[in-house]
Amino acid sequence: MTRTVWRHLRLAFFLGGVGLHRLSAYRVDFVLGAGAFLVRVGLQTAVVGLVFRQVPAVGGWTYHEVLFLLGFSLLPRGLDHLFTDQLWELGRKLVQRGEFHRYLVRPVNPLFSLLSERFFHPDGLGELAVGAVLVGWSGNALHLRLTPLQWAVVPLLVLCGALIHTSVKLLFASLSFWTVTSLPSMYAASQVSEFAAYPLDVYHPSLRVLLTWVLPFAFTSYVPCVYLLTGATGLVVWLPPVTAGALVLALTVWRRGVNAYEMTGS
Amino acid sequence: MSGIAVPERDGTPRPPLSARVRHYLPFATGGLQSLLQYRSTFVTTGVTAAAGAAVTVFLWRAVYAGSPPGGGPGGFTSEGITTYLLMAQVLQVLHANRVDDEVAAEVYRGDVAVMLVRPVSYPVVRFFACLPVVAANAVLVGVPVLALFALIVPLTVPRPVDVVLFLVSTALSVLLAFLVNLLTGMTGFVTTNTWGVRMVKQSVVAFFAGQLVPLALMPAPLAAVASALPFRGMVDGPLTLLLGRYDGVAGAADVLARQTGWAAGLALLSAVLWRASLKRLEVLGG
Repeated sequence: MTRTVWRHLRLAFFLGGVGLHRLSAYRVDFVLGAGAFLVRVGLQTAVVGLVFRQVPAVGGWTYHEVLFLLGFSLLPRGLDHLFTDQLWELGRKLVQRGEFHRYLVRPVNPLFSLLSERFFHPDGLGELAVGAVLVGWSGNALHLRLTPLQWAVVPLLVLCGALIHTSVKLLFASLSFWTVTSLPSMYAASQVSEFAAYPLDVYHPSLRVLLTWVLPFAFTSYVPCVYLLTGATGLVVWLPPVTAGALVLALTVWRRGVNAYEMTGS
Repeated sequence: MSGIAVPERDGTPRPPLSARVRHYLPFATGGLQSLLQYRSTFVTTGVTAAAGAAVTVFLWRAVYAGSPPGGGPGGFTSEGITTYLLMAQVLQVLHANRVDDEVAAEVYRGDVAVMLVRPVSYPVVRFFACLPVVAANAVLVGVPVLALFALIVPLTVPRPVDVVLFLVSTALSVLLAFLVNLLTGMTGFVTTNTWGVRMVKQSVVAFFAGQLVPLALMPAPLAAVASALPFRGMVDGPLTLLLGRYDGVAGAADVLARQTGWAAGLALLSAVLWRASLKRLEVLGG
């Protein structure tokens, strides 16, 4: 058991290194991707700034609190991006073009084998860096003082959030085993995750229920931020069970999908 | 625009416009047919559009929650800003013609070479192929999203004359969106990471077109930058007319004239760049 875990860790490290080497081959592409991301977050921050030119608080949230939330939402997203970007390829074309079988003939877990093709995706590093800067800067402006317990759970909050993102992505990507390509539904799900960058309090009640209990993106940023900013623990205790539930559901669908997969035979 | 075998080069007289348009109609019906192959796309486009509209609509409604009934910041009422942001999202659906995607992919894969041996102009083919996409998106995505939100949030009812002006302006905005996407797709001649370029285009257009924040709510220097860019005619222009936020006939004419001017300018620019790009195009033979 420990040997398998150790072997996978070593493999992940090695394959991640291979991915980083690829970066040096496509430098302009990397710079373009990173620049595009910075433009996007910059304009998103500008929109928040323009909203708060009009009013001091939105849905009970101040300017710096919303920026804190916006920044925090990038952390789980970035962590997830770093390791699971290859799932987009699964949803897009691996089943459609009959290329998936090559992950089944390798002597490692098929999911690990699939994800390992794009470990340490550099765009994820950008998201983590920008998110950390936004959180640090707005936390400082808010004079936020975290208790030792809060400091201790921050990594867990980010990790659970990332696992929720991964679960949703894995679930929708696995649908492609039956529908051949599931890119549109993956895209729609990722679009819904954009809600997580703003306080849930401004949305219609039905939307709040959807984001909390159906596609639980609220647990990736809003719920942790409420806990970190106010210390209220009402919803944050639900984070571990929601994460576990999402992960179990996604892995079940994935496993069934792999079993249902049929090669093209050509 | 350009093509490699346009009739007038042979010295033969140009056929009448109607005949030339007829050459391109099969591309429009073909575009419609390939679109109907993937009907589920409309559902996901709809979900995406509704989600995008919900983020901005609810965010700004929270801002206008405490504003006086006569109108809050920028002269918008709560219903007015809701209508603005919702229609902005509907316009964005009309502008999502996938031209940038397809042009970039065809240049990248070299498929564009097949198009170049045909006696038609590739950019014009793309324009006709995207028209049914726009129409289908309007009917199958725009109308349902609008109806959904009309049930949840109060909207303003525009004057009939403003609706007519809005429709004219919307047609021009669709043309502008086509040209912007064509130019974006043509970056495929220069770089393989058109994903990054398209993401920048999407964010910049959404911001400076006034889709996320109306130009009236931007600080003066930023509004001046946005006014100087062609993207304004894609969202802020049509909605200025729809909500009657213009100053008499001259005001309405100004909005339409700016749109027409930018459409002509961008068409010229893409024609020039298209010719230049073809010179440096290299496709491996099969």
